[in-house]
Amino acid sequence: MATTFLPCGVYHENYKQDQAWWQTKFIKSKMFLLFISLFFIIPWISDTYWLSIANLIGYTVLGALGVQLLIGFCGQVTLGHAAFLAVGAYVSTLLVLEFPWPALLVEWGLAYPLSILISAIAAGFWCVLFGLPSARVKGFYLILTTMAAQFITVDFVITQYVSQIGGRGQAFSLPPGTIKVGPWVIDSDIKVYYMMIVLVILCVVGLVNLLRSRVGRAWVAIRDNDISAEVMGINIIKYKLLAFFVAGFIGGIAGAVWISNLAAISPEHFPWFLSLWLVGVVLIGGAGSIHGTIFGSIFMVVVMELLQMAVIPLADTYPKLLVDFLFIKESAFGLAICVFLIFEPNGLAYRWWQAKNYFNLWPFSY
Amino acid sequence: MSASKEIKSGDVLLELDGIQMSFGRVCALDGISIKIKKGEIHSVIGPNGAGKTVMMNCISGLYNPQKGSIHYKGERINHLKPHDRAKLGIARTFQKVEVFGGMTVLDNIRLGRHIHYKSGILSGAVYLGKTAKEEMEHRKFIEEEIIDLLEIEHIRDKPVGMLPYGLQKRVELGRAIALEPELLILDEPLAGLNIEEVEDMARFILDINQEKRWKITCLLVEHDMGVVMDISDNVYVLNFGNMIVDGTPEAVQKNPVVIKAYLGEEDLYATRK
Repeated sequence: MATTFLPCGVYHENYKQDQAWWQTKFIKSKMFLLFISLFFIIPWISDTYWLSIANLIGYTVLGALGVQLLIGFCGQVTLGHAAFLAVGAYVSTLLVLEFPWPALLVEWGLAYPLSILISAIAAGFWCVLFGLPSARVKGFYLILTTMAAQFITVDFVITQYVSQIGGRGQAFSLPPGTIKVGPWVIDSDIKVYYMMIVLVILCVVGLVNLLRSRVGRAWVAIRDNDISAEVMGINIIKYKLLAFFVAGFIGGIAGAVWISNLAAISPEHFPWFLSLWLVGVVLIGGAGSIHGTIFGSIFMVVVMELLQMAVIPLADTYPKLLVDFLFIKESAFGLAICVFLIFEPNGLAYRWWQAKNYFNLWPFSY
Repeated sequence: MSASKEIKSGDVLLELDGIQMSFGRVCALDGISIKIKKGEIHSVIGPNGAGKTVMMNCISGLYNPQKGSIHYKGERINHLKPHDRAKLGIARTFQKVEVFGGMTVLDNIRLGRHIHYKSGILSGAVYLGKTAKEEMEHRKFIEEEIIDLLEIEHIRDKPVGMLPYGLQKRVELGRAIALEPELLILDEPLAGLNIEEVEDMARFILDINQEKRWKITCLLVEHDMGVVMDISDNVYVLNFGNMIVDGTPEAVQKNPVVIKAYLGEEDLYATRK
C-alpha cells in the first residue's frame, strides 16, 4: 500500500533502507512472530480438523494468487482459473502414477517434487495458450475467452480423454505412499500443512519480488494504461502472456500440491464454480493486493466452515438445511460478494491498511 | 541505448517525408514533411482538429500512415511498433495525462526506465544480487537526476492518481525523460496549467533541451503562443492536415496566412502575447 509510517527518530539513510521490505524493528519482530506461529504454534494447537481447514486456506491462497496477478495486477479478468489448477493436478498425478521414474529418484522422494515443477510449467504454458486472445480483446470479451479455458480443459479434454488413460474412466486414485517428498511420505494433514506453508511462502515471496522489479511494474503499467505503457517501451503482448504464464505456473503448483490431500482426483474437483470462487476471494480480499489474497482466502474458507458448523445443529429440526447445504454455501458466497462490493469495494486489505494507520497515528489521527 | 549510431548536434534526427494519414475519407494529414535537427526545439501549432496529435501518433507509432516515410537517424522506422521506437530513444507525453494512476511517482519514473532495466522473470522473483543491485543503481539515477530536476521530492511515494493535475503533468514529463530519449514528443505539456506551473514547465523543457546532461531534442505541440514563440527554433503551422507554414517564430508571427488561420487579427492576438 501507499506509505509506511516510520516511528519518531527512525530515518532512512540510504536507498537500500528505503526499499527494504520490513523497515522497522517492530515490523521485523511482528513478522518473526508470524513465522513462529505458522511453523510451530498453529500445528501444535490445531487438531486434524483445523489443520485440514488451514490446508484448504493454503490451497485457496495458492489458487487465488494467480487470479490476483491477472485481475489485480495485470488487469486481465479471468474466469477459468480452475482449469489451470486441474492441469497442474492431472499432470502431476499422471507423472507420479505413470511416468517411469528412475528407481533412485523414487527412493529419494524426488519424483513428486519434480512432478510439481513440471506440472507448474505445463499449466503455465496451458495458461499462455488461453491468454493469447488477450493480445486482441479486452474486458468482457476476454472474460468469455478465459471461460473457454474452463470448458475446454476440464469438461472436454480432461473428462473425455485424460480420464480414460489406463482405462479408469472417471477418477484417478492415488494409492497411499505414492506422494513422497524426500524421506517423508505425505499421508497426514500435518505433513500436507508443512508442505503447503513452505510453498505458499515461496510463491508469495516470489510474486511480491516480481511485482517490485521490472516485470511486475510492466504488468501494473498495462493494468493502469496500456497505451502509454506501450509508448514507454513495454512489449504489451509479451508481458501479458508472461503474466498468464506466471498465473498458470502458480495455479499448477496449487493443483499439484492439492493432490497430496486427496485419495483420488476427478474432474469434479475443478468445477467452474471454483474459478468463480477464486475471483470472489480476490474481490473480497481486495484486488491489487497480495495481503488481500491471503485475507480473502482466510475469510471465505472460515466463513464457509462456520456456516457448516451453524447448520449441523439445526439439521435435526430442519433436515432440509443439510440436504441443500451446497445451495446455502453458494448463496452465502454470492451474498458476501454483493456486501463487499457495496460496502467495501476495496476489500479486506483496505480495512487492514486503515486499521494499521489508525494505530500508527494513535492517539492523534492527523 | 540500442540506437545504431551516435549522431552529432546539428545532424537531422527525425525526418518525415510526405506523410499522409486518412481515417476513412477524412484526410487528417496530407503530405506533411518536416526535418528536425538534433538539439533543437520544434513546435507544431494550429487550430483544433488540424492533425497535430495525429502527427505525433504517427511518429511514436500508434498510427501507421498510409503514405510517406519516417526516418529516425537516417533509418526508416515506419514498420516499427511503438515499443521498438521507444527503444530507439523516442519518448512522448500525452495531451490528456496518461500516467499510471495506481503506481507511486517513483514507480512511474522507474517504469519510464523500463528499457534500461535488465532483470527477467527468474532473477526478479529471487530479487538477490543482480536485480537488487540494478534497482539501487536506477533509484540513485532517478533521485539525483530526475526527481531533483523536476522538484517532486515531496510526492515521491504518493500514488499518482491522487495528485493534482499540474503535478501529474510533471510526473509524466519525468517518466518520459527517464527513458533518456534523444527525441521527446511533448503533446500540449502546458494545457490546463496555471501561470506558475506554465513557467515551471517551460523552464524544465529548456533545461532538458540545453543542459549538457540531457540534450534532448523536443517536438512540441502547444497552444500557448507566448511559450511557443519564446522557446522554439522552428514552428510548423498545420491547418486541416496541411502544413501551411514552416519557419522561424518571427517569420510565422508575421505570416498573413497564419494570422488568418490561427492567430487571429492583430489586436486580438496582442492579448495572447
